[in-house]
Amino acid sequence: MVEPVLDVQDLSVEYEAGAGTFHALTGVSVRLDPGRVVGIVGETGSGKSTLAHAIPRLLPEPPARIVSGKISFRGVDVLDLPKWKLPLLRGTGIGMIFQEPINSLNPAYRIFDQVAEAVAVRKLRDAGESPTLFPAPEPHDYSKGMVVKSGEALLHPIATKLPGRRRRARREALMQDVLDYLRLVRINDPETILDLYPHELSGGMRQRIMIAMALSAKPSLLIADEPTSALDITIQAQVLTLMKELMEEVQTSILFISHDLGIIAEMADEVGVLYAGHLVEFGPVEEVFANPRHPYTKLLLRSVPAQYKDDGPLPALSGSVPSLANVPPGCPFHPRCPLMRDACKTNPGPLLEPVKGISARTHLSACYYSDEVARMA
Amino acid sequence: MASATDSELGVDATPWTLLRGKASHLREILRPFIRVLRANPLTLIGFILVVIISTTALLVAIVPVISQVVLGHPVLLTPYDPNGISTDYSQAPSLKHLLGTDKLGLDIFSRVLAALPLDLAIGVGIAGFALLLGGGLGLVAGYWDKPRTLGGVISAVILRVTDVFLAFPSLVLALAIAASLGRGTGPSILAVLLTWWPYYVRLTRGEVLAVKHRPYVVAARAAGVSEVRILFRHVLRNLIEPLLVYYTLDIGTVIITFSTISFVGIGVPLDVSEWGTMVEAYEQLLLTHPWTVLAPGAAIFITVLAFSLFGDGLRDILDPRSRRTLVQAVAATTLPGQVAGAAEA
Repeated sequence: MVEPVLDVQDLSVEYEAGAGTFHALTGVSVRLDPGRVVGIVGETGSGKSTLAHAIPRLLPEPPARIVSGKISFRGVDVLDLPKWKLPLLRGTGIGMIFQEPINSLNPAYRIFDQVAEAVAVRKLRDAGESPTLFPAPEPHDYSKGMVVKSGEALLHPIATKLPGRRRRARREALMQDVLDYLRLVRINDPETILDLYPHELSGGMRQRIMIAMALSAKPSLLIADEPTSALDITIQAQVLTLMKELMEEVQTSILFISHDLGIIAEMADEVGVLYAGHLVEFGPVEEVFANPRHPYTKLLLRSVPAQYKDDGPLPALSGSVPSLANVPPGCPFHPRCPLMRDACKTNPGPLLEPVKGISARTHLSACYYSDEVARMA
Repeated sequence: MASATDSELGVDATPWTLLRGKASHLREILRPFIRVLRANPLTLIGFILVVIISTTALLVAIVPVISQVVLGHPVLLTPYDPNGISTDYSQAPSLKHLLGTDKLGLDIFSRVLAALPLDLAIGVGIAGFALLLGGGLGLVAGYWDKPRTLGGVISAVILRVTDVFLAFPSLVLALAIAASLGRGTGPSILAVLLTWWPYYVRLTRGEVLAVKHRPYVVAARAAGVSEVRILFRHVLRNLIEPLLVYYTLDIGTVIITFSTISFVGIGVPLDVSEWGTMVEAYEQLLLTHPWTVLAPGAAIFITVLAFSLFGDGLRDILDPRSRRTLVQAVAATTLPGQVAGAAEA
């Protein structure tokens, strides 16, 4: 069995707020093998972003609190790391792409400086000049498929004229990498945007820059937290196409978080479905989507509108998502579940068991009656 | 022969054109600055006034010192010795005495001019000290504010001390300190110095709290950037603009406060030329010899106004969004040449 890149076990996260305790995640387990893409899908407030931020320990603590569980990244227990070691984990270890590219780029710096910062972090660690948790790994050839025109960027008018010898030296040292990664994300003539500020670029370009920044650190794990949600639909398509191509070129492991079932189906190898902080179903993406074995997944998939069809109102789940301050006891889905029995009100569902009645042991469901879901009307 | 070399090398090689190239580059860097000044006449007025005031102050302050060293005797830039008593007492403004004289025959214009370096240095220096001390403390208090940690305790101490200072109106506190220290230039500077920094702690802390939760700070943290580097590169960098604007506006306020201390009569002694002291000394002459009071008053007014106007416009100049034209202009003027060069190669 392959050693997983990321192994999250039984992770529970709470937020202490004035109004009470919000159980953002309850007993979530996710396992990510090298080179695989795991999608996490869920509604707003289901704990997706909490999961994304909890793994590299980016949650603000307080108000967030990791109650229990274990996060193991490349054999390192993340929850056990002292605070000062956390920056060493991020960037080169776990990279992240955020939801809103305009807010995630520092408005005060030119594009070159933004990307160069990420490159510099990685170069220093690779060269052993700054401490690192992991010996410089070279698992993937990032230059594959890249056309590199060497040196020409140094002729760029502003690049050569920027004041300050140290700044120029730094610029020259990092220039090639910065250009390489900007080309990697399909920016055709990166020289022309090096000296622009983030507000001068379009949303799609900004997200490409964010992706370039995340990849230029060569992370073993990339967490994409709704990378396309803030973009309009055509740009979404471009960025998704780009990410799909990059997945093949770069071959990094990705945790892809989205509320969009279509995007997950497109991008992920395996999918986990979050509901009210509980992981209710996990399995290979084709298997889960074609043959959902948790009532929530089944109903959720049914509510996706079909194209070119007009047969009345869209099917919707009855009831509403429970507040995380007040998650129902037992199975969190039971108030809305058509299969609900008395036991569901008090017994929490099983923590992801292999689905009954099918041979694939990788398809897990948190429903006692997973075999009945298939027959559900 | 010479002309042949010229044509071989082309005009590009002459030192003159190289120099001109440098000048045009400088112009590109200054372009957003010029653009803002051109678009906003008030900022332009403020900027011109600030330049004139600062240059004059510098010259008035250093020329006597330099001439002392070079010529062996000081050359004053003021038309008369600001402390030289003469027989031309109580004269109205004339060509001989531009702003008139006082009861002792001191030339008012000379005194106003002689006070300029002191007042300006006090404004720039005290506000600068407050910016550095208060800004530094505010940065620490804002960034490491998590309760029940060492940083949280330090930040709580900083903020409570600040609160104690802020509980008094700064002018009242400065007056109290100045009064207890006794009359003199040094004590009154110290009084303003001690009361001025708490405002910068509050301002900086507020800005840090706003900036440190911005997504780009989280993004930098996610990229593995260390906390100290985040503090300086991502948090502090985005504070510089509001702080600098506030600082520029504040220079005028410091000058007014300092002059007020002198005006009340517990600040700078009468034999030192200082605008506030002058207003105090000539106060009773307002109706009979108005120029004696109005001249230093106008000097305060113009200096404060100049820095306020300039400070207002500084925001536009410092905002990266106004630098757009720089990039576009450079790209437009130099890229075609590059393309041509690439084609030849």
